[in-house]
Amino acid sequence: MNQPRQEKQADGLSRREFLGSSAFVGGMAAFASQLVGCRAFREMNSGAIGSYALADPKNTLYTTCLQCHLACPIKVRVWEGTPAKLTGSPYSPQNYLPHLPYETSPDQAAPADGKLDVKGQSGVQTYGDPYRLRRVLKRQGPRGSNKWRVVEFNQFIEEVVTGGKLFAEIGDERHYPGFDEVYALRDRDLARRMAADAKKVGAGTMTLAAFKQQYSADLDKLIDPDHPDLGPKNNGFVFQAGRIEHGRKELMKWFTHDSFGSNNAYEHTTICEQSHHIAFKQMTGKTHMKPDLLNCEFVLFWGTGAFSANFGLTCMAEKVTTGTISGRLKTAVVDPRLSNDAGKADWWLPVKPGADGALAQWMIRWILENKRYDARYLANANKAAAQADHEPTWTNATHLVKIVDGHPLQRMTAAEAGVGSDNEFVVSHRGKLLAVADDPKRPVEGDLLVDATVNGTKVKSAFQLLWDEAFGRTPDQYARITGLPPRLVEEVARELTSHGKRAAVDMYRGAVQHTDGFHTGCAIVTLNMLIGNFDWKGGLQVGGGHWHESGGKAASIYNFKKMHPAKMPKFGPPISREKSRYEDSSLFRDAGYPAKRPWYPFTGNLYQEIIPSFAQGYPYKGRILFLHKGTPALASPAGDKVIGMLEDPAKVPLFISSDIVIGETTMYADYIVPDVTYFERWATPHATPDVPTKTSKVRQPVAKPLTEEVEVDGERMPLCLETFLIAVAKKLNMPGFGRGAFVGHGDFHRSEDWFLKLVANIAVGDKAGERVPDADDAELALFRQARRHLPPSVFDETKWKRAVLPELWRKVVYVLNRGGRFASFGTTYDGEYMKSRFGKAVHLFMDDVAGQRNSLSGKFFIGYPAYRGQYDSSGKPLDGEGAYSLALITFKEPIGGQSRTISNYWGNIALKNENAFVLNPVDARRLGLADGQLARLRSTANPQGVVDLGNGGQKELVAKVAVSEGIRPGAVAVSWHYGHWAYGSADVIVNGRRIVGDRRRAAGICPNHAMAVDPILKDVCLTDPIGGSASFNDTFVTLTPAVSS
Amino acid sequence: MRIDKEDLPVPDPEVTAANRAQNAIERGDFLRKAAMLAAGTCSLAVGAAATVSRREAPARVPAQPDGADLDNPLERMRRELERALRKPMEERKWVMVIDRQKCIGCKACTVSCAVENDLPPGVVYRPVTEDEVGQFPHVRRVFLPRPCMQCEKPPCTPVCPVTATYRRPDGVVVVDYDICIGCRYCLNACPYNARTADFGEFFTEPAGREAAGLVGEPATAYEHRATFEYGKSRRREHGKERSPMGNARKCHFCLHRVENGMLPACVATCLGGATLFGDYGDPASLVHELVGSTRVTRLKEDLGTEPSVFYLA
Amino acid sequence: MKPLGRKIAWGVWLALAAFGTWGVYLRMTTGHRLANYGSYFPWGLWVAVYVYFSGMSAGIFLLSMFVAVFRIRPLARLVRPGLFISAIALLVALLSISFDLGHMFRAPEVFLRPNFHSVMTLMAWLYAAYFPIILVALWLDLRGDPSLHAQRDDASGGQAREPARQRGERCLRCIGWLGIPLAVVFSSGLGGLFATLPAKPYWYQSLYPVLFLVGALLSGSALMLAVVSAGQRFQDEEGVRLRRILVRIVLGLLAFDIIIESAEILVPMWYAVGPEYHLYRTILFGRFAVLFWVVHVLFGIAVPLVLLIAKPCCRWAAAAAGILIAATFLAVRLILILPGEITPEIKGLREAYADPRLSFSYVPSTFEWAVVAFLIALGWAVFVLGNRTRLFRDAGTVPDKA
Repeated sequence: MNQPRQEKQADGLSRREFLGSSAFVGGMAAFASQLVGCRAFREMNSGAIGSYALADPKNTLYTTCLQCHLACPIKVRVWEGTPAKLTGSPYSPQNYLPHLPYETSPDQAAPADGKLDVKGQSGVQTYGDPYRLRRVLKRQGPRGSNKWRVVEFNQFIEEVVTGGKLFAEIGDERHYPGFDEVYALRDRDLARRMAADAKKVGAGTMTLAAFKQQYSADLDKLIDPDHPDLGPKNNGFVFQAGRIEHGRKELMKWFTHDSFGSNNAYEHTTICEQSHHIAFKQMTGKTHMKPDLLNCEFVLFWGTGAFSANFGLTCMAEKVTTGTISGRLKTAVVDPRLSNDAGKADWWLPVKPGADGALAQWMIRWILENKRYDARYLANANKAAAQADHEPTWTNATHLVKIVDGHPLQRMTAAEAGVGSDNEFVVSHRGKLLAVADDPKRPVEGDLLVDATVNGTKVKSAFQLLWDEAFGRTPDQYARITGLPPRLVEEVARELTSHGKRAAVDMYRGAVQHTDGFHTGCAIVTLNMLIGNFDWKGGLQVGGGHWHESGGKAASIYNFKKMHPAKMPKFGPPISREKSRYEDSSLFRDAGYPAKRPWYPFTGNLYQEIIPSFAQGYPYKGRILFLHKGTPALASPAGDKVIGMLEDPAKVPLFISSDIVIGETTMYADYIVPDVTYFERWATPHATPDVPTKTSKVRQPVAKPLTEEVEVDGERMPLCLETFLIAVAKKLNMPGFGRGAFVGHGDFHRSEDWFLKLVANIAVGDKAGERVPDADDAELALFRQARRHLPPSVFDETKWKRAVLPELWRKVVYVLNRGGRFASFGTTYDGEYMKSRFGKAVHLFMDDVAGQRNSLSGKFFIGYPAYRGQYDSSGKPLDGEGAYSLALITFKEPIGGQSRTISNYWGNIALKNENAFVLNPVDARRLGLADGQLARLRSTANPQGVVDLGNGGQKELVAKVAVSEGIRPGAVAVSWHYGHWAYGSADVIVNGRRIVGDRRRAAGICPNHAMAVDPILKDVCLTDPIGGSASFNDTFVTLTPAVSS
Repeated sequence: MRIDKEDLPVPDPEVTAANRAQNAIERGDFLRKAAMLAAGTCSLAVGAAATVSRREAPARVPAQPDGADLDNPLERMRRELERALRKPMEERKWVMVIDRQKCIGCKACTVSCAVENDLPPGVVYRPVTEDEVGQFPHVRRVFLPRPCMQCEKPPCTPVCPVTATYRRPDGVVVVDYDICIGCRYCLNACPYNARTADFGEFFTEPAGREAAGLVGEPATAYEHRATFEYGKSRRREHGKERSPMGNARKCHFCLHRVENGMLPACVATCLGGATLFGDYGDPASLVHELVGSTRVTRLKEDLGTEPSVFYLA
Repeated sequence: MKPLGRKIAWGVWLALAAFGTWGVYLRMTTGHRLANYGSYFPWGLWVAVYVYFSGMSAGIFLLSMFVAVFRIRPLARLVRPGLFISAIALLVALLSISFDLGHMFRAPEVFLRPNFHSVMTLMAWLYAAYFPIILVALWLDLRGDPSLHAQRDDASGGQAREPARQRGERCLRCIGWLGIPLAVVFSSGLGGLFATLPAKPYWYQSLYPVLFLVGALLSGSALMLAVVSAGQRFQDEEGVRLRRILVRIVLGLLAFDIIIESAEILVPMWYAVGPEYHLYRTILFGRFAVLFWVVHVLFGIAVPLVLLIAKPCCRWAAAAAGILIAATFLAVRLILILPGEITPEIKGLREAYADPRLSFSYVPSTFEWAVVAFLIALGWAVFVLGNRTRLFRDAGTVPDKA
């Protein structure tokens, strides 16, 4: 028998060499290469790579992404009418660093692709989602039954405008209100008069009887004649938007506020990170600041980072990585879970969930104790003093605050101190009281630590209040609360204060989606304030801002604030009672404290509170809920609680939804109007403050709309939000739409009538001499060619041209050819400062907040950064963990958004097909769970670990356990992006036919449905009473082994 | 303007990192001087302090990116790419350098590649692996993007029974879709799992196809659009098992882009700026610079495959 | 065969054929979409079936050719059925591998643009040579068949054909001299297909070609033992002797196979450390344990050993042992192939991109089994059909009355 060779040698390499040199193989190879066919083939394929059709500028359009709110300018390569490949725009400072000069022609820009993250790249699948809606659907069973019928658009408009027994066909004899009925108050002048007088009723300066007498003929137009200050019936229309951005947002308000006269138009910000905005706003007047990552030497990322969600990954990541590699930048991350940022950072502070405020106070304490704050900066009490120090900003740290009944209530005025006027504040300068003049020639400095009595009133400087707060706990106590070792915290605090102005603390939702989110946010802004880094290169910046597309600037052509022909006054509080004081309402005078539900004077866009208020009828009953691109049932903490409300027509009389796919909340609607994706429509989003240069982004139709084409008043257009609003408005003959809609600037018949005016404002800029160049003939030709795939209902050049003044057309084309307007990179810095500056006071003490009471408890809010733990809506501390031993936190992977990326097979599904309970091995052992095992999530709010979807449907809170060292013991982290029960994951019936869902989209869980419910309100999640943020991170849960179902 | 000395932040030089100590001490000195000047309570002193204050920041890190002098590495690589394309193919050697410290695990490259080449389910050219190293609380996270290594001695090409896959003179290992018989021998031969096979699947089938049919025309055109791999337009269509369906597929450094003056899709989109690409035959290129780094490693160097993908550890 | 047995056989065959036809229909209409192999686990059941049958083919061929070439008279009656079964096994094997190809109709490319560096090309070309050799050998053997000649001789009325018969035998021996090394090369080359891949340490070992060769001989001999034991016409005295020799051959090969398999397993596992240790643990105690211990060791080695040693003369014991060894040899092929693909080349690949095709574990789908059922049904049918024609009756037997 033949014995094969046994020369196997120990070393693989020598074996391979042996084989390689073997005569046999060599000979065979030679033979092979001599075969004619083989050689010919090789030569044929050696060089010939054809041209690349997608790179052709004629197949390229620039627009703005919306897979997340970073809204990157993108380059869309269109092939056969469909988006084929998306990349970042090289014109965009968010995606190309530094970006191409704005003057670069689209031809030259064609081969340059900018960066775009997973979500953005996957947008192709958002557009091409087979579950997208095309036609209007009307429900054919009870709400949530997911049985639908297609209705004609005009029929649908007729039905929702007229109202009536809309569902008689399925045996429901109930009356459904229409827009016509809710649009009760139509006379603008009457509205103005009533609004003014109703306000007096609310304030108690006019009696109800007098009001009723004066408006006896029009009382039926009020939503509650006994409380006229609640506004007109029009307020019964509620426009709740999940994701809506500039351009559309203004249109939402134009429709809802200005034309319809309802004070109820909302975004989703409180389920995002609103308290962060409100903290910034109360302390600085600006809502958002970011570190100048190109020059920072140290950044402390707090509950966020540059590598995953934030605002945002695409523009921030490279600045951090190059900074780190070059040795310029060090980073630290505060997060109970090892995020990708934390996994790369110099320091990871795995804080106990909910203890962020305490950690900030601890760091403040250490900085104060070790005198590592910028005392020179903090001493400046007014602008003049700051300017003398060449500091762009100053603070009220030295201002004296009156302590009334132990509560720091208001800053003392100079008049009260006897040193000046009523509108001046007071500092103590080496023991001497000085008025803080608002005089550019009179620098005023104050002592930082003041605890004194002035004219019999106890006063403390704001800085003293901070000092007392921070020193209110010992380091040991802080260490216990935060679960962090003192050495680590001190090291990071020292690092933060070791770089002069070139350090910053960046925060986002992780820090503030707590009930004390506002105060934690303030404490974090305070850390920045202590080093005085605002507006400094390498410090905290406000960003480059944008050219004002809504007009109102010196050079603007179209001022949208003044173009409305009959703008209704805002009359009555929003149904969420945001931006409104309980004390100003007649309800307060009737009932006093506690209010039935909280009022939110400092915040807005209180997403989680809208539907519960609507359903409870407090402060008034809602009539029509219009939900656009939002999914509160999925995306709000304890969002499952709204399902029961939405299912009940007695609570939500008419529910219309606008969405691209039947979503988790949309599925409970009476009607669904299909919307288009961001590829098929317009908007003018703003840039993140991380972008230091002026940036105006434009979103424009780049792909054929997949929704039905309909005709409204003779105009053909695709079904979408704008089409719906125009159709309803025209049907109601509402001012602000149709003929003469824009005072002095023509009609509003089509989307582009609105949006191209915005683009034109961007093209002309804010100041004279800022106009962009005209597009030349070549660019104009390219403009047409690149849109050759768009149907006339979308792109009709004559109609587009008609929307703007003729002399602006070529400028508009210039902007559209580049997807927006972008200032050049060279305009970023001004010496040691940012070119774009905030340049105002930072308020360590916030009089507004300190003077306001919690509407449930009647107790004052604290007007400076403080830590009081987590509490319920009345300010009562929450119960401890009890039987539930794990603190639940949530996070986003860089691969997806929360609710709308599950259609992205490349990104959201292929990169991670389900989420898991990320658990430290210590907890896994304790709970008897192994890696990969299925577990059920339970909490006080959801002891069964099951979401009741109504109609017998259920979604189990069951997912796999992922044991990881990257999370602190005692916490469990769950990512979003999963746990869908709609959005193409479940079967639906349309016109009697079953459309089978794709089960891949139903994988994993959404942690929101185990989150705590406010113990007083019982129908909504815990909420920050000041910032309004929904609490995502203050729930204790447990995990029990589960069997796969 | 008076400044209380007690309030001054005086950094502790002992604990400040060595490269920062100098600055911190300067700042301390400056503040002491400023305090002495301030004692004079002279308005001139205010100006003086302010002047010094302005000096303060420039003194710390001199070469800060400040607009014009900041070069976009993508622009540099594109310039180098165009330079390389002017040479004969034999004289250029495409290499990729991946800085693992800069890789943030965002996976934009994976998806950018998938969209660029319209990859069907189960076909992936550039996955990114994750690893967690250490024990709480001292844990690091590391990522490894894994394109095709474009080995100089590829184990995958000699196994191909029909010479459908081979290494081009510029170093890129390619697959001829019209010849590949789909035996998947090369998949097993690759020590990096860098090849995957196209089994003819679609993301939106079967569930999505029905949905699309009901509410209008199918929206799933993206799955059937022409792709341009190797510069040839091809279309994957349901029911027609045409190439690249049935073939082995792999990363090809986006040759169709590269030869048209564009960077590979993964390079263009790398959010951390971790993936770099260029001609190793050009000593002035960025990749040539980086391959000389002390941090350079290659995967499974011991196999002797000599990858053209270099990692900076 | 008894009528009941025949009915059962028919029933089984029909079931296999129906199941198999369904599978082949799906294979032709849906391609590979219903198969469970993927990109990280590229080779599954069909490759194992291919290796199993082509190995078996080579084993039987070698056995037959040894007999012919070295004129081992007691075994002479093996030659023709051996060649015949060998051809069927090869056909089945090649069909199996062609079903596995992404583009099965491009298979001729292997001849149009061959890459002789590739072991797979060498295999294809060896098959191309080997298949005609079987057919020629079969033809030559037929030519030398006295029974056939007897008929013709009757017709022509003389013994004039005797020289032709001897010429035929000589030619057959020549072909055998050519075929034996060819079959040795390709049956061990099958191992080489795997053993030459440094990427897969489990396969990358010099023992593999030997293992495959021994396996080919063992599975082939075992099948022939089963045929000889079960076949009615081998129950004469000569046939019984043939069976007894075959029993010894099978026992010898089995022993040899046990030795090399033990070496293969014990060497990398001995000190419980090293790169392959965990892989072998998985085979012995992990997801391959049932396949290894029950199918292979118990039914493929232990039971046959007991049967052959305890009842060396019993016809049914030999038949059972033969069929057990031959049938369970598929498990050996699976164990030699599948574990090579379970280890990610790079840690974390499993989690990096989620898709059923990117899995490092594999269980054949029903569809894959259906295609295999088709192959078995086909082979069986050809065997039965061939067995009915006079052509493929073994050379030593007087034909039935016809």
